[in-house]
Amino acid sequence: MNYFPDEVLEHVFDFLTSHRDRNAVSLVCRSWYKVEKWSRHRVFVGNCYAISPERLIARFPRVRALTLKGKPHFADFNLVPHDWGGFVYPWIQVMAKSNIGLEELRLKRMVVSNESLELLARSFVNFKSLVLVSCEGFTTDGLAALAANCRFLRELDLQENEVEDRKGQWLSCFPDSCTSLVSLNFACLKGEVNLTALERLVARCPNLMSLRLNRAVPLEALQRILMHAPQLVDLGTGSFDHDPDTETYRKLISTLQKCKSIRSMSGFLEVGINGVELIQLIGHCRKLQRLWILDCIGDKGLGVVAATCKDLQELRVFPSDLHGVGNAAVTEEGLVAVSIGCPKLHSLLYFCQQMTNAALITVAKNCPNFTRFRLCILDPKKPDPVTGQPLDEGFGAIVQSCKGLRRLSLSGLLTDQVFLYIGMYAEHLEMLSIAFAGDSDKGMLYVLNGCKKLRKLEIRDSPFGNVALLTDVGKYETMRSLWMSSCEVTLGGCKVLAKKMPRINVEIINEYDQMEFGFDDDVQKVDKMFLYRTLVGPRKDAPHFVWTL
Amino acid sequence: MITLTSSDGQTFDVDEVVAVKMQTIKHLMEDGCAESGIPVPNVTGKILAKVIDFCKKHVETAKAEELRAWDADFIKVDQVTLYDLVMAANYLECKRLLDLTCQRVADMIKGKSPEDIREIFNIKNDFTPEEEEKIRKANQWAFE
Repeated sequence: MNYFPDEVLEHVFDFLTSHRDRNAVSLVCRSWYKVEKWSRHRVFVGNCYAISPERLIARFPRVRALTLKGKPHFADFNLVPHDWGGFVYPWIQVMAKSNIGLEELRLKRMVVSNESLELLARSFVNFKSLVLVSCEGFTTDGLAALAANCRFLRELDLQENEVEDRKGQWLSCFPDSCTSLVSLNFACLKGEVNLTALERLVARCPNLMSLRLNRAVPLEALQRILMHAPQLVDLGTGSFDHDPDTETYRKLISTLQKCKSIRSMSGFLEVGINGVELIQLIGHCRKLQRLWILDCIGDKGLGVVAATCKDLQELRVFPSDLHGVGNAAVTEEGLVAVSIGCPKLHSLLYFCQQMTNAALITVAKNCPNFTRFRLCILDPKKPDPVTGQPLDEGFGAIVQSCKGLRRLSLSGLLTDQVFLYIGMYAEHLEMLSIAFAGDSDKGMLYVLNGCKKLRKLEIRDSPFGNVALLTDVGKYETMRSLWMSSCEVTLGGCKVLAKKMPRINVEIINEYDQMEFGFDDDVQKVDKMFLYRTLVGPRKDAPHFVWTL
Repeated sequence: MITLTSSDGQTFDVDEVVAVKMQTIKHLMEDGCAESGIPVPNVTGKILAKVIDFCKKHVETAKAEELRAWDADFIKVDQVTLYDLVMAANYLECKRLLDLTCQRVADMIKGKSPEDIREIFNIKNDFTPEEEEKIRKANQWAFE
């Protein structure tokens, strides 16, 4: 193969879509490195502080599609202060200056200002796709700039962002010549949208595959919009508050039945306690592969999903009321039903009132193919309500049965035992989320020693301290990051770690000035610590309350 | 009918509708150079025969599923033949064959470590240990 001309090598590499494969190829020999470097168009940067934008484009000058991730995952639970970091502006600035032909940008947990969006819209003529997940810092004015200036925009996907809605006419900023949209998701916007502009936009985009509306789009509008888009594959409904007897609802069902390609649904934001209409709706969607829903659906509703959606692969059940009493929520019954009825299920996010070991063991047996399993029992440290036992055995069954498990979130009452199981069985685990769990340092050590493929570990409110943190410091160079908050780790322990591992940024978040240098480091517990490996040393944009040790 | 002559002197009579699947040949035909046959000096008879077979099958068969199955069988060849097919497809500019063969080579690479890849393709590691370590670190820490 060494005598293949470069363009042939490049053609072969075109068929390698995974970043790991492209990385492997770049290490084979010098000529392969060169060809790969000049032909990698899709670049994934899992931690924006592991490398700088300058080094990114020095290595991959022809980057066209970039994924960047910023804040740690626990930012979703408000554990990370807003101005911690993760600013996208410098990246866009450097790429604009270097004439990068950027076409796609996917950002997760980053701070995106209107200036960034405006610079983006102005600088990249062929820009096609913007996906923002859990980002913040922009308003609908920034969206207007994108809509108005990106002539070839195909995708604008906003997932769970904090957007200040100026109630402007951003949707109307898509020119009449824009007919190229494939994906439009504005579910997270809180304000009104111009329904006429929306309807016309959908009508003139024949390739629209994914459409997720926000709360402000009423049922009648949804029905009219769906008439223009029978080709939809992914639908997020707007408001679902209505009277089941209305003509509009019947029309909606009839229109929905004409959308024969729908494989993914989400939304249903104001479903009433019964969710009867919702259940009826799902009854018409037999081919669903992905369903994101509120727990108002109840165990009964999940039973309908189990009976109807035999192709279901991904299910997310979100809490409608985080401090709820429990009428509307789901329990272990719903999950068991789905595990029986949906054999292809491999990805789960499940917020629930309670869970039993028996149910988890049943689910593990029924669904050995889970790759992502996130269980969030709303009441922390809640034991099995039937036996009063911790949920160690239940989660143990999950990790033992699901040999391909890559992501796991634990909840409920858990002892060190569950971590013993995880260390022993979760061979492919890459990300683990722990909250209010474990008894001692042993728990964390089981995980660090056993999970060879671990990349991200996040822990809150658990009794793990310096011994667990410092026993194997080399491990952290094999991982992307570690988050520990409200644990037993002290400032002294963190300092020791930082000294031993110069290529790791050990950041202490000291929001409320609880900590002072000079106090006895060995006693002062650290409220929030975030450490990550990096090629570029301590970051220069850290706010005053973030200390890099 | 067009006559193609391989590097080792074998001749092949090929229908024009098949020959034009190879862009290089097509251009020569359009330029009026095909009168007395077209020499294909970079491709042996053994390989040229296979390329012509491929083009013929793709001209004759309309059903996509049948073609896919046939392609899957066609590409089950030893490594040396595969390389020769890649080079021939590239030289003759037969896009579909180039895609098929490059995909096959890519499949041999997927999921493998750099060491494994070097062994499969008999490639010498010409990095210094420092260079290799630097790239490996950048790959793992930044780009994965």
